[in-house]
Amino acid sequence: MTYLKENILREIIWLRLSQIYINDLYKKGDFKIPIHLAMGHESIAVSVDHAMKESDSLFLTHRNIHYNLARLKVLKEDLDEYYLKDCGLGGGMLGSMNLNNLNKGIIYSSSILGNNLCVGSGYAFANKVIGNKGVVIIVTGDGAIEEGAFYETLLFLSSNKLPTIIIVENNGWSLGTKIDERRGKIDLKGLSNSLGVDYTHLSGNDPFEYLKNIQSVREKALINNAPVVVEVELSTLGHWTLHNEDNPNGKFINYHAGPAPEVNLNKNFPLLEESNSDPLYVLQAYMKKEELLVLAEEEMEKIISEIR
Amino acid sequence: MKFVQFLNQTIKKELLTFDDKVVMYGQNVDAASCLSGLTRGMSAIENVVPSNSQNSENMLVGNGFGMMLNGVSSIFFMKQLDFLLLGIDQITNTYNIIRQHEPSASFTIFPVTVDSGYEGPQAILNNIESFCSIADIDAYSFTNNIDSALILEKYLLKPGFRVLSSGQRLLQSDLLELELVYKDLNLNFLQYSSGEDACILCLNHSLPYGLELQKKLLITGRTASIFSINTHSDFNSEFILNEIKKTNKVVLIDDSRGHNSSLKNLSLKIHQSIPNSKVIDLVRNKSERLLKPYEDLMKVDYNAVLKFLISNNIK
Repeated sequence: MTYLKENILREIIWLRLSQIYINDLYKKGDFKIPIHLAMGHESIAVSVDHAMKESDSLFLTHRNIHYNLARLKVLKEDLDEYYLKDCGLGGGMLGSMNLNNLNKGIIYSSSILGNNLCVGSGYAFANKVIGNKGVVIIVTGDGAIEEGAFYETLLFLSSNKLPTIIIVENNGWSLGTKIDERRGKIDLKGLSNSLGVDYTHLSGNDPFEYLKNIQSVREKALINNAPVVVEVELSTLGHWTLHNEDNPNGKFINYHAGPAPEVNLNKNFPLLEESNSDPLYVLQAYMKKEELLVLAEEEMEKIISEIR
Repeated sequence: MKFVQFLNQTIKKELLTFDDKVVMYGQNVDAASCLSGLTRGMSAIENVVPSNSQNSENMLVGNGFGMMLNGVSSIFFMKQLDFLLLGIDQITNTYNIIRQHEPSASFTIFPVTVDSGYEGPQAILNNIESFCSIADIDAYSFTNNIDSALILEKYLLKPGFRVLSSGQRLLQSDLLELELVYKDLNLNFLQYSSGEDACILCLNHSLPYGLELQKKLLITGRTASIFSINTHSDFNSEFILNEIKKTNKVVLIDDSRGHNSSLKNLSLKIHQSIPNSKVIDLVRNKSERLLKPYEDLMKVDYNAVLKFLISNNIK
């Protein structure tokens, strides 16, 4: 295994452990602000981080922890921001949903559904005006593509020939409703193509396949001076079963925000699902379970010594 | 000269003297009538990047903030103010994050406020005050040669964000040419004449009504100080209050249709600071709903106002 490959595996494990660490603090009631954890989104975040060049910029949503941590590669500054400390990543002024990091190319994160699409496209237009190279990467979700801003942005990017990547993280849920509970099907490929925008579909959480694809899409966006839509199928992990008077048999609650009550920090490998919907499960195709466990122990040590 | 021609010339002057590139965008800014002449000829200016945009106001407002984050200044011209409603989310949320750090670039939205009921139901929104109030943003309106030139010079391309506007009806009228007596440092208000018998304060686009009142007062041998209130935010009104104290007679005029007009704040300040002042508020009849196209001019009973001023022992 190459150094780069092992690094990617380590980063995915570290990203999961960092989120579980935050979740533990969250469960203790440490944070006053809402945090949207992104367990299950690690592969795409690490791949985007590795594909990004210095000239690129990133525009994120309210669920941005995975990209922020993947770019930052340390936990403390991020954690301090969640505590709203002056020494936090955003000086204690941004909290979680609006957290950006200019030094790492994260220009803007929007707490409002779809707003980052518009700001990112304006940034891309300004790049063209002042002759800046680089690709603007805008992350959105299957909920935000229901907003008019998504259509408006694709049309604008295509009309103005702006090298951009729109990553649609499709976790199938918006708040507490599944796609088929709230709307009809959107043919994202058809919609994109109808506006002259290329479309790529990613699934399976293989970080190396994702990296290869994002790198290739980035090149395509630059060569063609055009936007590309990348739809990523993923699951936001951390669901639990609610038992109360109304639901004596238990009700499935998909994770949206806040602490995930049934996710705990322990000494085992931090796997949450025994399927490809968990990026950590996919890592077993590249390394034996025992070796991954060693990596996990080392990464956990790193987190503890950093926070200490 | 029409007011719109004067604004066009003034904006072009500001663009010509600006050192950096400016993106000028909006529907028809460089096509057809160029927003009834407002943006005509601007694209020929070397540092101006024109962009006839699609009809996507929410996105276009976000675009302006995105360009601002990337250090590029822009002006978003908008033919009718109600389109800005679609962008209020960006103004409220995005700008509130961006404003945490002093921006190096400028972003100005320049909507034309629709103040003619013939245009349809959007005339109910005939001032920019509500936008200013919802998102706590800087907003200035203007009506004449003095306030428009000063406000555009100071704010059009200043780093940061604001909304600047004037009324559709005024834009197509002959330019109101006035002389300046006093200007507030931030151009929150301007004074055009100094009188000895009353003080007339004009909000939103009501200056023509104030000038008409001043003229009628002059026929009776009385003079009035006249001010335009150009900001839509709270402001330091000490200078105006001192001016009012000279006569203790004040007429407040506001042609806005909104219910949260800053006239109420100003009126309250006057009553609190000068309890013995005689104040008359001239506002629209808010019970007259805009349910069908009509001219929608504010009805002012000048004789009644004159009677009020005179019966309150004015000279």
